[in-house]
Formats: sequence, structure tokens, C-alpha cells
Amino acid sequence: MIDRVLEAAKRAVDNADALWRREEQTSVAFESGRLKAAGISEEAGLNLRVVSNGRMGVVGTTSATPDPEALLARARASAELGEMVELAFPDSSPESLPPIPTYFDRTANASLDDLIRMGKRLVERLERPDCQVNVSVEREIADTAVGNSAGARGEYRATGIAVTADMTRIAGDDVLMIYDQYVGADMPTEADLETLVRSMETRLTAALTVVGSPEGALPVVFTPAGLAAVVLPLEQALSGKTVLQGSSPLAGKVGETMFDERLSIIDDPLTPGRPASRPIDDECVPSRSTGLVERGRVGHFVYDLETAARAKTQSTGNGRRGFFGKPHIGYTNILFRMTGGGHVGVRAQHAAALQEQGLGGGLIADIDDGLIVDDLIGVGQGNVISGAFSHPVGLAWRVQRGEVTGRVKDAAVAGNAYDLLKKIGGFGTDGRWLGARWSPSMLLEGVSVARR
Amino acid sequence: MKDRLTAAVKQSRADYTEIRVERTWSSAVAFRGRRLETATVSEDQGGFVRVLNKGCGWGIASFTSLDELPAMVRRANELSRAVRLDEPIRLADTEPHVADAALDLDGDVRGVSLADKKKLLETYNGAMLAVSSSIVDTQASYRDEVSEVWYANSEGTAIAQLRPEVVVSGTAIGRRNGSIEKGLESIGLRKGWHSVQGFENQFRVVAQRAVDLLDAPRVRGGSYPVILDNELAGVFIHEAFGHLSEADFVYENPQAREMMTLGRRFGKPVLNAGDNGAEHGLRGTLPYDDEGTPTQDTPLIREGILVGRLHSRETAAKLGERPTGNARAISFRHPPIVRMTNTYIAPGKAGVGFPDLIRDIKLGVYACGAFGGQTMLENFSFTAGWGYMIRDGRVAELVKDVVLAGNLFQTLDRIDTIAGDFTWNQMGGGCGKGGQFPLPVTEGAPHVRIEEALIGGDV
Repeated sequence: MIDRVLEAAKRAVDNADALWRREEQTSVAFESGRLKAAGISEEAGLNLRVVSNGRMGVVGTTSATPDPEALLARARASAELGEMVELAFPDSSPESLPPIPTYFDRTANASLDDLIRMGKRLVERLERPDCQVNVSVEREIADTAVGNSAGARGEYRATGIAVTADMTRIAGDDVLMIYDQYVGADMPTEADLETLVRSMETRLTAALTVVGSPEGALPVVFTPAGLAAVVLPLEQALSGKTVLQGSSPLAGKVGETMFDERLSIIDDPLTPGRPASRPIDDECVPSRSTGLVERGRVGHFVYDLETAARAKTQSTGNGRRGFFGKPHIGYTNILFRMTGGGHVGVRAQHAAALQEQGLGGGLIADIDDGLIVDDLIGVGQGNVISGAFSHPVGLAWRVQRGEVTGRVKDAAVAGNAYDLLKKIGGFGTDGRWLGARWSPSMLLEGVSVARR
Repeated sequence: MKDRLTAAVKQSRADYTEIRVERTWSSAVAFRGRRLETATVSEDQGGFVRVLNKGCGWGIASFTSLDELPAMVRRANELSRAVRLDEPIRLADTEPHVADAALDLDGDVRGVSLADKKKLLETYNGAMLAVSSSIVDTQASYRDEVSEVWYANSEGTAIAQLRPEVVVSGTAIGRRNGSIEKGLESIGLRKGWHSVQGFENQFRVVAQRAVDLLDAPRVRGGSYPVILDNELAGVFIHEAFGHLSEADFVYENPQAREMMTLGRRFGKPVLNAGDNGAEHGLRGTLPYDDEGTPTQDTPLIREGILVGRLHSRETAAKLGERPTGNARAISFRHPPIVRMTNTYIAPGKAGVGFPDLIRDIKLGVYACGAFGGQTMLENFSFTAGWGYMIRDGRVAELVKDVVLAGNLFQTLDRIDTIAGDFTWNQMGGGCGKGGQFPLPVTEGAPHVRIEEALIGGDV
């Protein structure tokens, strides 16, 4: 398909690139402990970008048999209104791509019954008389082909599986919700599922008692899930697009130390076993990892072809595109790494082994009064780019004298990501994947906590 | 197409079968700063099949290749039979409907050139950029669509719908030294080209506000009497209460059902709220939902008492209530689930206005506009676009970073005065639930006073 379209494009426009993808999903859903639905989804589509008379245009379709000529006519119409741009279409050959496993037979070959059995086992292990348990299992197989008129081609087949579980406990007017997930390219092992179950149970058990919230500027442990509010401003600011537009607080700061010197952040499309990993990006740029923050210093921003052209730099292989709309910048896997020693607090170091499955990743031993934050409500809705956040807690626990004393409900936390990450109180021993992000818990000092 | 669906339904061997096919024509234009990002036309099409058998669960198939329709009906049937259930799924009875329901296109967007759409957006984007040199970046987007939706089920319903949609939105980013603020304008309607003309001034106003916010202090965290403007009050009723009234939250959960017992007091007698998918021309408006049930005005709270909830056919059957036309899917890629449409707080006494709400407030917050909101059932958050302090009964200085954190039960009960100045929001945002985002919805409300609410921020 892609060859036909690009062949036709060669005759009609200056340059072109395209992505074709076919996805097949199988899912099972358990609602309140019962298997309620099984479904499949099949989707295929093509996204074409052209440069015609120096101007860029895009077009997309989910038609099973798109007519290349009609597509090109629409793409040219789009380009007539488009901006001038000189895209450096790469000419990578399939042989030059980094070897990265994206396809796992076990995932692809799992039958509907296998998926049902896995979901059912999980439901059984999570069930408690006072809780409603929902579980879903979704398996995806996707074929991707990318190519351009400079002769680059890339093709890969990828698998993905997502197992998600949520538990709801309602007692009077108290609503408690606990959520977790396993996401991978390969099927979860028994140990992976056990980790999921224990993570749910630990958080639920610690939440059964409700305690009052402290107030003031306090130490707060953000779990890997709770970190979302702190990470989001950085993800926006490290995008080459935001930098180009002049709205990134990190623009012009490359090489400057803006964060704790132990903090490194990497975008890595080459981590094995992750659904976001890939040998080539959606614009034919071979994958490589990018150091976003290197030991506290601002490293590289991420770029796609167009943004790179406008910023007079090179794509970092972060081009992403759907069937519709033009390619844009997207992260692959984001990894938070602590470098420069394993210091996590003196007492905590000894307690780490014991607390490995406990809350707070071994960071709470030195906290006299503070919070562990696992979920905040409304993340992404404020003035994210400025780094400021202010959210009520969705799920949080109080820590007093180094112990978790119960769940805190009516509290809101606020701070600025740039200020808080200048000095990180500690990195937890509980590093994990959450979707496409790997991070441990982090202890941040002086977070504003307001209570009702 | 309706006949093709009806024929495929007839061939199905399942006890219950429904098919939805959509063909969506859309165009989009986007500016970032002075640069055009895209101007493009897209066509998306596909189908959705859902079947049910006795003693079995739902079998579901979605697909982009319509030639596969008969095969997909068979696949869905196999999937349903793989799901064994002790307690059968029942669907509430509805009258079969055979209808062609074309909403008013109000200037068919398919007949307007992409160049004209670009010109319109350029005007709005330019209005934002011209406000001040402190406006360093803008994001402006125009998106329209006309969706043809065909639905048929094995109970004799066969409906063809034509659903238009148009959204114009702009974000202005103001920056001075290290400080960055934004202003957001958004117009979204289930109408067409005519309805998005003449908004230059609104875009200018939000850009000016982004500039003004650069000098504004952050609101101090704590509890205050809070007045919500119409827009935020609408988002509030959607977030704080609307999601709890979606019956899929309670129908399988006895504790939740107890919490949401009809007849329970949720607020003072001034409070009336509901959801109305049949109101003309709004973003959440639909003649029929995605199970073929006609939409309606559903009262949810009457004089402070819980009187209703939003249903699909499945949740209605389970709770022995009537379907309300709230089963919606964002596209053929998804099954219908219980969703809101146009959710509202009804106006209070005519003649009661904003000055009456603030007159006796010594220190309070007037929270305006909405960047968004999220609920975790009992607790919710919503982010105002901007706010003012209220001092000694008067509107005082502009403040920023106004985020309301709240507990549903406490907050609803603390609404003590509702003005008579009801308006529908015309924002272009959408609602997310169960992986389905953005679903077109809107809200409506008058100014609302909450005796006491928690505002996040530095303390």
C-alpha cells in the first residue's frame, strides 16, 4: 500500500512520506468481578504528508482501499494552504535500523481463553467482600510500515498487552478507588501479576483508616504514579516544539544545572519489552535514546522532522503520527534515573529491604509529618508549562514519625516542579514502569499542603 | 445504508444484535503562533457490532473495513458465546424507532473552502497576537465535522442521523521574565459555519487576561465563600455531581446504590439540576443516543433531593428504571456507555443577580472560567481560568491559580444562593470516561454561591 502511494507521489509532488498501520485488538472486561464482555477491534489506515511547491500538506484515511490519486489530490489541496518548509527526509534502509524486539509470540498467540483465564485469576486474587473489582485485559498486534520518497523504508510488527485493575470500596459516603496496571510488549509473568496484586492490596490496606491532613510546607513522597503532576511540566518544556515557540522555561538553558545533580531523564525507544519501543520513528528516523536531563543539567530537547527543520537541528526520532493530522513530537519511553550514589536517607537505607513492598519506596523513615501522594485530581488542567501545580489529592496517606498512619482525604497539594526538583530529598527503591514512564518514588521537600 | 444494516442484523444468529456505522467528514485548521500548523480534510469511517445471547455476555467488534460487516456480526456472536454469565444481562424495553434525524447544519461546513476556514482562524489568532508583545505564543484551532450515523438493532429500530459539530478554540500564552500565563477561549456547538463567526473580541479578551495574570498574585490557599461564574458552575455540576448520577457507577454496586438512593437530600431546596440531551443546538445535543433511545430532559436533583439518574438500557433494566437516552460512544471504535449530554443547574429566582450573591461576603473568591475539571466520585477538582478576591462585598484584585478542591456531599450542601442569570456554556472541550475522550458535552448554570469551599495553593 505504502509503496503504491509513494510511487504515485513521486510523480505528483516534490517529496512525501507516509505511515501505514494495521491494528488488531482483543479485549476482555470483568465488571464487578464478573466477565461481562469480549471484543475485537480491527483498524487500518494511512497517513500521507507531501511537500508540494515547497509547502507541506497532510491527509489521512481509514478507507480499506484508498485511491492513491484521490489521496494525493487532497494532500496537494492541503499543501496549497500550507507553510513553506524544508524537511530533511532521511534515507535510512531497513538494514541500518537498531535491532529491537517489539514482537513477542506469547502475546500474539494468546487465545481469547488465555486472556479470560488471566483476568479471572486476577479478579479472584483481588476480591474482597467490601470491594467491587473491575479488571480488563487488552492485547494488541500492530503492523507498521513507514516510508518516504527519499527511499527510506521501515517495517515492524509489535505486540502489546495491558492488564488493568481497579477496586472501589464505598463505606457510607466514603469512596476509595485503587488502580494499577501492567503494560508490556510481552505477557506478564506470574511474578508481574503478583506484584500488581500486592501493590493494590498494600495501598488499599493502608487506606482503610482515614486520618486528618497536616498543613503547611511539608515533605511529600510522590510515588511513581503520583509524580505525574511534577513530570508533566518537564515533558512539555523539553519538547522542541515548546522551545521553538518560546514558551518553554528551559529554552536557552541547555547545559545549565536546573535540577538536582543526581537526576537524569532519558527518552529511550530501545528499551526491550516496552510497547513504546520501536526501531524507527513514524517519520523514518532510526531510533536512538536522548538524554533530556543529564545529572541535573538540561540536555537535549526532542524533535520531529518539521520542528527540527525550523529549529535548524536534527530530528531525535520522536516523530509520531496517527491516521489523521500531521506528524508531531511524542516521547517514547521516559526513564528517570538517579545517578551519583544510592543515598536514600540514612535510616531508610537499612529499612529499604523491609519496606520494598511497603509504601513510599523506603523514603518515609525520616519524615516526622508529611504525605505520600499516589494520585492527584485534575493533573494537566492548570498552567502546566509554568511548572506550577495545585491539586486535591485523589489518593494519599499521612506519614507521622516515619510510619504511614492512614489515608488523607480532604487535602490539596501545591508547588512548582522547577523549585521542587532543584533538591530532591531522596529516590525510592521502588522504581517501576507506569505506562511508558519508569521512575522510582521521589521525596520532595517543602510542598504546600492545604486542608479543609 | 440503513437497509444494509437491517439486512445484516436479520442475518445475525444472536438473540440481540445492534450495528452502528459512521462516516465522518471533517476538516481542521491549526495555528501555532503566526505559523499555520495544518489545514486538512479527513474522512473516517467504520462500524461497530454488539450482540447478546441468553446466559452470555456482550460480544463486540469494531472495524474500519465495512466489507467485513457480515463477518464481524459472526465474530461478535462467537465472542458473546465465549462469555458465560450466571446472571443474564437484560436490556430495558424501548419502543422501536424508525427515523431519519438530520440536525440543522446551520451552514454546511462541507461547502466552505479550507481557505475560508483558514482565514477565519487567522483573524481570531491574529486578534490574540495583537494584544501585547507579552503574548509569546498562541495555539488556535478550527475543527468541524459532519457525521453520518446509521444504527439498527434486532428489535426493529433503524435510525439515520446527521450530526454536525464545529469547534473554534484559542490559547494565548503570555510570558514576562520567568512568569507564564494563559488565556483560553473556546466555542463548540452542534451547528455549522454560521455559528462561529464574529468572535474576534472574545479572543482579544482572553489574550488580554493572560497578560493581566502575569502581574496577578496567586490566590492564597484556604477555605472561602466562593462564587462560581456561569461557566465554572456548569463545569462544577458536571464534575461534582454529574458523574455520580451516571447509573453504571451504581448499578452493580449495592454500597454505591445506597449512597445514591433516590430521595436522598443532596443540597438545600434552592438546588435543581438535570441533564438535557434534547435541548437545541448544544454540544451534547443528540436526537437519539447510540442505543437508539431518544434523548430527553432528565431531572436529577429537584429542590435539593436526588430524583433521577442517567441510564443506558442495561443499567435501566438492572435498576428497574427507564432508559434516559444517555448511552453514548465517541465513535464506532467504542461501545456506548452511560454519559452526560448537556448538564445544568437550573436558574434560581428571576431578578437575583451577581451583586446579591457577594453583598454580604467580607472575604471570598469569585472563580471564573474553566480550564477543566476531574472527579474521583466523592472528591473532585476544578481549575478556574482566573479569579478575583471579594472584599467587603465588592469584587477586588485579580488572582491566579484558582483550583477548587472539594467533597461532593459537603460542597453541594453548601450551595446557598443561586442567581437567575442562567446561560448555556458554549465551550468546545469534551468529557473523558472509560478511555473515551473527548465526548462532546456541555453544561449550563447561573452564578452560584458556595458558603465555603477549599481553594488550593500556598498557605
